[in-house]
Amino acid sequence: MTRKKVKLQFIANDSARKSTFKKRKRGLLKKVSELSTLCGVEACAFVYSPYDPEPEIWPSPMEAQRVLTRFIRMPEQEKSKKMVNQEIFLRERVFKTKEHVKKLRKENREKELSLLMYQYLSTGRILQPMSMIDVNDLHWFVGQNIREINSRIEVMKRLAQPNESQAAVEAPAPAPALAPAPVPTPAVMAAAVAPGMVGAGERLQVEQGRGLVSNVGAMQSQQPWFMDLQVSNGGEEMLPFGIANHQNPFWPMN
Amino acid sequence: MVKGKSTSGRQKIPIEKIPKKSHLQVTFSKRRLGLFKKASELCTLCGVEIGIIVFSPAEKAFSFGHPNVESIIDRFLTRNPAPDSGAHQLVEAHRNANVRDLSMQLTQLQNQFEVEKKRGDDLDQSRKLRQRQFWWESPIDELGLQELQLLKLSMEELKKNVEKQTNKILMEHNSMSSPIVGPNGVRYYDVFEKKPEIKMFSTAPNAYNLHFNHGYL
Repeated sequence: MTRKKVKLQFIANDSARKSTFKKRKRGLLKKVSELSTLCGVEACAFVYSPYDPEPEIWPSPMEAQRVLTRFIRMPEQEKSKKMVNQEIFLRERVFKTKEHVKKLRKENREKELSLLMYQYLSTGRILQPMSMIDVNDLHWFVGQNIREINSRIEVMKRLAQPNESQAAVEAPAPAPALAPAPVPTPAVMAAAVAPGMVGAGERLQVEQGRGLVSNVGAMQSQQPWFMDLQVSNGGEEMLPFGIANHQNPFWPMN
Repeated sequence: MVKGKSTSGRQKIPIEKIPKKSHLQVTFSKRRLGLFKKASELCTLCGVEIGIIVFSPAEKAFSFGHPNVESIIDRFLTRNPAPDSGAHQLVEAHRNANVRDLSMQLTQLQNQFEVEKKRGDDLDQSRKLRQRQFWWESPIDELGLQELQLLKLSMEELKKNVEKQTNKILMEHNSMSSPIVGPNGVRYYDVFEKKPEIKMFSTAPNAYNLHFNHGYL
């Protein structure tokens, strides 16, 4: 396996080019062979190079001829449909890669917005300067999250119903509420909510009473403030920031 | 939320016909593409001419050829090297120039991809760390009902603040105070603080308006 990433351009150095050719040709033919065997399909390959007067042919000239004949006999349209040369192939790859980059950027943007949002929840401030676009996007993002939380709350309320069969019927109902959500739903959240919905049903019954405790178990030093009002841990940040203005008299006001 | 790996990574498989049909088809698609990539790279790196023909399990014909499939077939069948006329060379040169450009473009895009991927991984990492500290950063399907309600209140508070901020920005814009103007003419605003409410401004952001060339974290 090579360590260095090779630049995708003609190798100027003659000896480097020759050795690269030998290695990669061997690898290429191995791959053709594997593909043919693994998938039980017919294939052939021809390699013409300045290093050899005769082309290298896989599997063998005779076998290749057979495959070639099968190919040639196909109607023109079927042959051309999946036929590519370097230019066409590279254009396709460029297009696909562009799409992948776009998708990643979108996901990263959502992760960034998520970061901003949680920063506010943790500290009450957002430390980076924000542009108008950031502010708008954040607004949308927070709105999305609120919507998902609402859906989730609905689900949990219904699952808490004493009537078992009703819960079972009701549980899938909120799913359509999520489905029409705009495509840029944070992948993070959507993935979290959708699979969790019904599966977490059983867990919910048990956890409702314990509420925060079940999570706090995983965290070392924090006590949920309303579970034990005598202990006022004013200095620790256990609650998202916005709560301060609503309920907790012990929470220090910034 | 931190997802576990969605694929099982590289697995070693025996080189014999794959028994399961669906697996076989998936493998064919992936490997066929990989094969053509390798062939394409070999052509670019070493300046050689290659032709590959593969039939799919569904009997479709896939072919790759440099300079093109027909000329490779001709070359093989007639046992004659390709003609080297002036016009031919010109076409060749033109095509090679295109290929060079596309290769460079592809490389550039692949680098961009790597950059974004790393950024995504870093963001995931820091999220993972924060999740250990703050319960509210866990995925919402792991939160209990009370937690959800607290979180909701908090977020609604944030939303109001954002709206106030937007308001403030618009007021400033109207009253000709000069916010800091960044390098590409985008205005930056102060640390995000609570201000006395001027008027409720209901922004209706375009949900699809996520500008991804804009993050600066």
